[in-house]
This record gives sequence, C-alpha cells and structure tokens, in this order.
Amino acid sequence: MEQRLANTWRMSVNDKKFIESSLLSDLRVDGRRPFDYRKLSIKFGREDGSSEVQLGETHVMGFVTGQLVPPYRDRPNEGSLAIYTEFSPMADPSFEAGRPGENAVELGRIIDRGLRESRAIDTESLCILSGKLVWSIRVDLHILDNGGNLVDAANIAALAALLTFRRPECTLSGDDGQEVIVHSAEEREPLPLIVHHLPVAVTFAFFSNDNVVVIDPTHKEEAVMKGRLTATLNTNGDVCAIQKGGGIGVLQSVVLQCLRIASVKAADMTSKIKDAVESYNTVRAFRKVKRHSAPIAVSVDGSVAIKKQSQDGAQKIEL
Amino acid sequence: MEKKAAALPSKFVDQLVVPGDVVLDLTTLANSTIKLGGGLRQECDTITAMKAGVLRFAKPNKYWVESSQKRYVPCAEDHVLGIVVDTKADNFLVDIKGPAIAFLPVLAFEGGTRRNIPKFEVGTLLYVRVVKANTGMNPELSCMDANGKASGFGILKDGYMFESSTGLSRMLLSSPTCPVLEILGKKLSFEIAVGLNGRVWVNGASPSSVILVANAIMNSETLSGAQQRIMVEKLLQRVQ
Amino acid sequence: MEYVSPEGLRLDGRRPMEMRQIRAEVGAVSKADGSAVFEMGNTKVIAAVYGPREVQNRSQQLNDQALVRCEYTMSNFSTGDRMRRPKGDRRSTEISLVIRQTMEACILTHLMPRSQIDIFVQVLQADGGTRSACINAATLALADAGIPMSDLVTSCSAGYLNSTPLLDLNYVEDSAGGPDVTVGILPKLDKVTLLQMDAKLPIDTFENVMQLATEGCKAIANYIREVLQENTKQLESRRGT
Repeated sequence: MEQRLANTWRMSVNDKKFIESSLLSDLRVDGRRPFDYRKLSIKFGREDGSSEVQLGETHVMGFVTGQLVPPYRDRPNEGSLAIYTEFSPMADPSFEAGRPGENAVELGRIIDRGLRESRAIDTESLCILSGKLVWSIRVDLHILDNGGNLVDAANIAALAALLTFRRPECTLSGDDGQEVIVHSAEEREPLPLIVHHLPVAVTFAFFSNDNVVVIDPTHKEEAVMKGRLTATLNTNGDVCAIQKGGGIGVLQSVVLQCLRIASVKAADMTSKIKDAVESYNTVRAFRKVKRHSAPIAVSVDGSVAIKKQSQDGAQKIEL
Repeated sequence: MEKKAAALPSKFVDQLVVPGDVVLDLTTLANSTIKLGGGLRQECDTITAMKAGVLRFAKPNKYWVESSQKRYVPCAEDHVLGIVVDTKADNFLVDIKGPAIAFLPVLAFEGGTRRNIPKFEVGTLLYVRVVKANTGMNPELSCMDANGKASGFGILKDGYMFESSTGLSRMLLSSPTCPVLEILGKKLSFEIAVGLNGRVWVNGASPSSVILVANAIMNSETLSGAQQRIMVEKLLQRVQ
Repeated sequence: MEYVSPEGLRLDGRRPMEMRQIRAEVGAVSKADGSAVFEMGNTKVIAAVYGPREVQNRSQQLNDQALVRCEYTMSNFSTGDRMRRPKGDRRSTEISLVIRQTMEACILTHLMPRSQIDIFVQVLQADGGTRSACINAATLALADAGIPMSDLVTSCSAGYLNSTPLLDLNYVEDSAGGPDVTVGILPKLDKVTLLQMDAKLPIDTFENVMQLATEGCKAIANYIREVLQENTKQLESRRGT
C-alpha cells in the first residue's frame, strides 16, 4: 500500500489551482499562450521509414515496415495499414509493461481512424497480385518520453515515417504472370507510398471553467484538465477524425471554434512535416551520390557495406 | 598526520569522480580520522566514489561527492517540500520524492496537541524538516525547527510548485545569492521556498510573475552566472 | 450504391432525418443494482450497474471520488457472421474507455469517495449505432440504480451519404464507408461530452451532421425521461401511496 503511494507521480493542490487560475488570464505555466504549440522537431533515422518526433518534452519514435502477405478476404485488391503503439514504462511510471493499456489503445485508435478511415494512404496501390499478395504496412509508434499530448506527437511521427518509407518494387513474371519478383534497393529504386493527404491531429484541453481551452496540453495540464478533444484535419479543410471521449461537456459552438483553430494549426504542422521530409529526401539523395563516388567511405559504414556487392546494377540507375 | 590527509586528496578534490574511482588510500594516512559524506564508500583500505559528481573537501576532514539528481535521498536536517498523500491517526503520509513515503507526526507542529491537529487534504504542499532518516525506516518529518518553533515551516498556500534537480536546489540556496534570484529579486517581488529534494515553490502577486520566475529558475540550471543574467533580462523584456 | 432513393427514402424506408424505433426497459437484470435494455431498431443492448460498492482492488481506490469502471462486450451472436471474439480487443477496449469517461462526466463522483461503480454493457444485437445504444442503456441503468448524476447523457449517431445527412445509421449504412459522427450530450446543459467521428468530411458539412446528431440526442433524452417517469410512477404505486 505504501509502496504504491511512493511510486506514483502526484500533483499538489497548489499546482492544480495555479494552473487553472492563471489560465483564466490566458497564461500557461510554460509561458505559452493558449493556442501555441510547443517546439516541434522532426528527425529521421538512417533507414527509410523511421522518424523521431520531439514535441516539447514529449518524445515519440515512429517506424514503418512493410511485409508481403495475403490480403483480407473481403478486400482482395487492397493492402493494409496497421498502427501499433508501445507505451514503454520507461516513458512514464504510470505506464505498465505488457499488454497495451486503455490509453495506448485509444491513442492507436485515434491515429488509426485519422489515417486509415480517411484513406490518407492509397492501399490499392499496395496490391501486388489480386487476392494473393499485398503489402501490409505496419506503423510502430514508441512513446519514449511522456511530456503530455502524446496523440499529436505520435500522429506526426506516424506521418513523417510514412512519408519517408520506401518499399521495394515488385514485378510479376513467369508464364502465367503469377510469379513475383521483389527487386532489391540496388536493382530498382524503392517506391514511396502514395499519400493522398496528411491528416494532422490537433489536441485541445478543456478545464473546469467553461471558457478555457488550450492547445497541446503538457503533462501537468493533462493532470488538471477535465476533458480533451482531438481533431484530425488536413489542409483541404476536411475533418478526418474527431475524438472527444467523454469528459466535461462543452458547447457545440466551442467545438466548431476548436475545429477552425485546428484547421489553421494543421496547415502549420503540415508545412513543418513537409519541410522536414523535403530536407530528409535531399540528404538521402546526396548520401546515395556519395555512396558511389567514394566506395571506400561506404565500406566503413556498416549499414551500407552489405549492399556493395550489387553496386554495378545500382550504378546503372544512377546514370 | 593532518597535513598528510589534506595534502593527498588534492589530486581529486574539486575534480569530477565517477563510481569506482579510488579517492583515498587509507594506508597512506594512518591514524587520521576522516568523515565521509554522500557518494563515498569505504572498501577495505580505500575510499571509493559511488556516485558521479565533484569531490568536495571541507576542513578538517570531511569528504563528499556533490552531484545533481532528480531523486532525493532523505537526510536528517534537510529542509524539503512534501506533498500530503494520506492522513493516518498518528501521522500524515508525505511524499518527499524519496524512496519511501515520509511520516509527519500529527503533533509535530508548534504547540501541537491532540486537540488542534491540523487538517490537510490530499495534495497539500508542506515545507518541512527531515528529522530522522534511518535506513529501513520511513523518514520522519517535522514542521518545527530544533527549538520547537514554527519558523516558516508548515503549509504553503497558493503559488506554483515545480520539480527540478537537487543540484538546482542547492544552487538556489547557496550564498552569495545565485544570479537568477538576485536579478529577479531586483525586478519582481515574489516568495520562494526551496526544498533540498529538488522541489521549488514560488508565489507572487500576479500569475505572470510567478510563471516568469518559475521558468527563469528552470532554465538557469545549466547556465553560467553571466548567461543567467542575459536569460533573465530577455525573459523580463518579453513580458514587459 | 444508392443509400437514399430519389423519393428521399433510405434503405429501410426511413426519411433521412428519421430515427429508428426506440424502446427502453428499466430493471432487466434482477441481481444488479440498476439495469436497462435499450433498443434502437434492431440494435439491442443490455446494461447493468453495480455500486457504489467497496473498491475491489484497493490499489485503485480514489480518496476524493468514486472509481467508475466499464466493461463493454459484444455477444458472439450479435452480428450477422457468428464468430468468436477475443476478449479485450482494441475496439472494445476503446469503447469501454469512451463509455466510462462519458458516464464519469455526468456521475457526481465526488459524492461517493472511496467506492466503486461498475457498468457492464453487452450488445445483444448489433445493427449500427451500438456505441450510442450502449451509452443510452448505461444512463438508464445508472438512473435505475439511483446513482447521483448531474444530467442524463444521451447519445445518437449521424452520417453523411449521397450528399445527405442521415440520422441514426444502421449497419448497412454504417459499413458504407462514409463518415459516422457519434455525439453524446448533456441535454439540460446543452453541452457535448462525447464526440467521435471518422472518414473525411468538410468542416461546414460536419457542422450540419453534428447538429442533426444533437437533435437525435435530444429526442432520445425526451424518451428516456418519459421511461424514467413512468418507472418512478410505477414504483410509487407499488409502495401504495
């Protein structure tokens, strides 16, 4: 019993009162205004399809992988997209190891709804052999540090990882055209996913006072807030998903006002994500040039050295 | 002997040590008594460090390792900020960020009797003194100084509490006053309570000044004196 | 596929703004402290409430409010294709969480510290709108159990197919892949507590669809009031006053 008391993070009543009362005068404890986001930085791993997003103190890693599998029976011509979340106890003492908890499930479902049900990723182009073989895309989201507002950070991580993911090109051959050849990255340039639009999640927190709404709540604000609304929008002004799972009631007009603010913020975020992906692609292209011009340098680097054998094939594409 | 003891460790004093570093060889300083503080351990004839930090030496014979942690190890006579977790018949259970919940006897207040036990709701913030911190026992707290006077201890009302590291708390408590507090004190009026367990409480006339002070202090942890001054000036400009 | 005929009728013969037949019954489970069955067309949900009672798992006890727990299950026979459902899949975990948080918004939990309220909802027949039906059933069951609440939460869904906002989607309309907006409101305060939506919809259209769903919620709220009033009257007559 006492052990349990000692292990949970807790907040003093002073903080609760202070956060609420200063919000009445539009002040937040980290010096932001109500509708400001924290500093966002998007980094990419060396491999395609991995991203690392830091939103204030929140840290999320996204990793996209693809696998060739038989399709679902009811959708023989479509690939699939699945989101998996991992809340490591490392990120927050309240996360438990093992089975994903309620929050992990909710987070996964919000992102899943935003990305999949709005058909942001073209799944039909992931079909290789109708009814037999499709690409199954798996997005793993790992929460590394919980500083509040995991949904937005995880959503950005998922988008950034999906945008930089490349799958090997496949062609059909054989007499009946039923044989699938998976081309290695050296033979043929891997293909990016077809992304129709970018649904960006924007989270609002509501407090016990009716008129107080903030964007991107921190860990402390989340402990005080009475309700949360996550709106997923794209730059076309479409609402792709909304989640307000209970909590304090808000007026319908407030919800609509939130949506309008969210659409502005979503445009903001989209350009940030696109910029980051752009610069990643430049670096990536640059890296490839180097790989061929300086083979000695390549052999030092473990990750690329394996691919050296088929350099001749790859060079052809270069030229 | 005394001379030897003072001369030998000079190699390490005020230097960074990491766990496992042999700080002192006892065979070279026979007969001399030395006092060990936190982060040091005797292993046969040697004194080794068990925490990473800066080795400090105080005359005549005290050694300790100074480091900064988020975790707090309770130590008698430390002044800390605690949060009430639960109330029992004899004790308030108080979280002081230590490895165990601390007990605050309900009578450990100035003039405390069975009749005037204060009522604290869960989550109340208290400025308390650690009285006992023995291993294997929950630490014991008190809201009185050694003379049985309240002298500032007790409940902290309103304001904002944030958690930082023990190193920052020590910096804030050091004398002469650290640059952040000095400049902030000149420009703004605010109250501050610093606990050695890394908790800092700030209260002021307006929420904006409290937020400014809190953020300035949190930012100052890794800054030098001059940098602190610039940072605080910038923050003040932004607000005004 | 055509979901709204040129005459303005839906697949099941309803008008776009028409709700399915709703029916509610209080006190369906004898062992439970409060229970209710709620039907919206062919969707049928049963809810049972236990509590406030002693907290089972002491470590979860809250000192300033009641602990609310919710378990949502879908019967194997509730859908067209009968299949074994793994317990605690992602969908039902999420719905459990949503129902719990929605009910927490209206239960005055601070009046019952150190206690626990369990809400069990089971889908007997699923024909679209199970989430809403579950919330309506849970509200009735909570009211039946006499748990203090600030308002009756009611919920209803609406969709948008063939450029027409449709109220209270059934299974066929729901699986058409169009947008589906589920709204839960506190009717007396006229505030939205639950709002879920998927698929793509422009903001302006969303506003209309949400408005429609809110109207649906209000209609259900009126019906639930009637049911509760009727129930209370019966209780009164049984007491013999």
